[in-house]
Amino acid sequence: MLGWLIRTASSSIGKKALMALTGLLLIGFLVVHLAGNLTFYMDGDGAAFDSYAETLESNPLLPLAEFGLLVLFVTHIVLALRVTKQNRDARKSRYAVRATAGGSTAGSRSMVITGIVLLVFLVVHIMDFRLQNDGTESMAALVREELSAPLGAGLYAVAMLALGLHVSHAFKSAMQTLGCNHPKYTPLIEKVSLGLGIVLGLGFLSFPLVIFFLGGSAAGGQA
Amino acid sequence: MSAHAETDCLNLTLNIWRQEGPHATGSFEVRQLQDISTHMSFLEMLDCVNEDLVSEGREPVSFDHDCREGICGMCSLVINGQVHGPQPETTTCQLHMRHFKDGETITIEPFRAEAFPVVRDLCIDRTALDRIITSGGYISVNTGSPQDANATPIAKPDSDLAMDAAACIGCGGCVAACPNAAAMLFTGAKVSQLALLPQGAPERESRVLSMVETMDAEGFGNCTNEYECMAACPKAIDVSHIARMNREYMRASLVGSSP
Repeated sequence: MLGWLIRTASSSIGKKALMALTGLLLIGFLVVHLAGNLTFYMDGDGAAFDSYAETLESNPLLPLAEFGLLVLFVTHIVLALRVTKQNRDARKSRYAVRATAGGSTAGSRSMVITGIVLLVFLVVHIMDFRLQNDGTESMAALVREELSAPLGAGLYAVAMLALGLHVSHAFKSAMQTLGCNHPKYTPLIEKVSLGLGIVLGLGFLSFPLVIFFLGGSAAGGQA
Repeated sequence: MSAHAETDCLNLTLNIWRQEGPHATGSFEVRQLQDISTHMSFLEMLDCVNEDLVSEGREPVSFDHDCREGICGMCSLVINGQVHGPQPETTTCQLHMRHFKDGETITIEPFRAEAFPVVRDLCIDRTALDRIITSGGYISVNTGSPQDANATPIAKPDSDLAMDAAACIGCGGCVAACPNAAAMLFTGAKVSQLALLPQGAPERESRVLSMVETMDAEGFGNCTNEYECMAACPKAIDVSHIARMNREYMRASLVGSSP
């Protein structure tokens, strides 16, 4: 009875469709995450950000949401590894000379690399702000502490550039994989994809930059 | 006249892939070429190389070719890292030497993909594409007297789109250009062409399921939507045909009547 499901999910198109769906949902998560993070800039002492973090953490349904996120991330990453392995196996002998015909972009060419950077970042990020956070310290203080160190700020900055690059290809690629390609809206999808990459990338990148260079308090920078 | 003739000739260095057989280890052979006419096609230039090799008593370079007018899909080659060379929408046989510079080094490789094993030198085995077609890239009709053409109305935009997809000559350049050696543009073009036409409707679901299954089994890669295939395609087949195949596949899988 589930034969069709296994066949579909293990086919090339099915795998990519699942990656596209989970990827789109993860983009949705990123938009909400950025919106929440931006409360950091709302006042000088980070009280709005602390209150946002507290509201989020006191929600009894948070573990459910976290489980959902875990499923999305694991599905997306496992499929990415599987797809990448198969793609490598499909051409074992490399070209001596390789030149683009003009189809690919920096984002599309670097999906595997940016994906790996984001995976490493994800582990560090969860350890920094989810597992290390015992509730005694203010979240804003924890963020400032982490991102005022050169290593922390550097890692976060690199990872957020990777995020922007990844998303700039991800959205339009997901739409194409799910069959959404039409002269009516494909040009718009391409712009939205680039826009999402820029907004999410720069939005998240602002935190390590502002905190590292302007000294930790809010955008006003009264360090 | 002589000045004119001089500018019409090139001296070239070729790096040509030589490989004895499917399991042999290949390597590049460097050849110096003098006075190659810019009016020659790329394959005529290779004919000159082979004349030299034969006169030296050596084996000529094997390469695929047939019609030499850009419609049969037999010629291949990756020239300086580009499938069918640097000219867009042009097969190797229709590429002329005037697009190269005097003194240039040209690296010539076979299409590389595990699904396209090298037969010898630049010749590759593309029968994997034939097996994709035989698994569903056709329509089944009973023979008999032809019906009235007007009995099967087809909207002009659909007919045009189907014709765009049908322009595929099956050269496999999309596979060669794809960073993942995927055959999505080739398979998508045929699935899309037949999905757009009423004649393709009866086998619409079984066709896409079967063709994708064969494509996967042949060891082609997965699509990552880089669109190198479309940029390299000598017939400029659009990736919207891949999107249509994706829709056809998910439709057949999720709501189709096939088990």
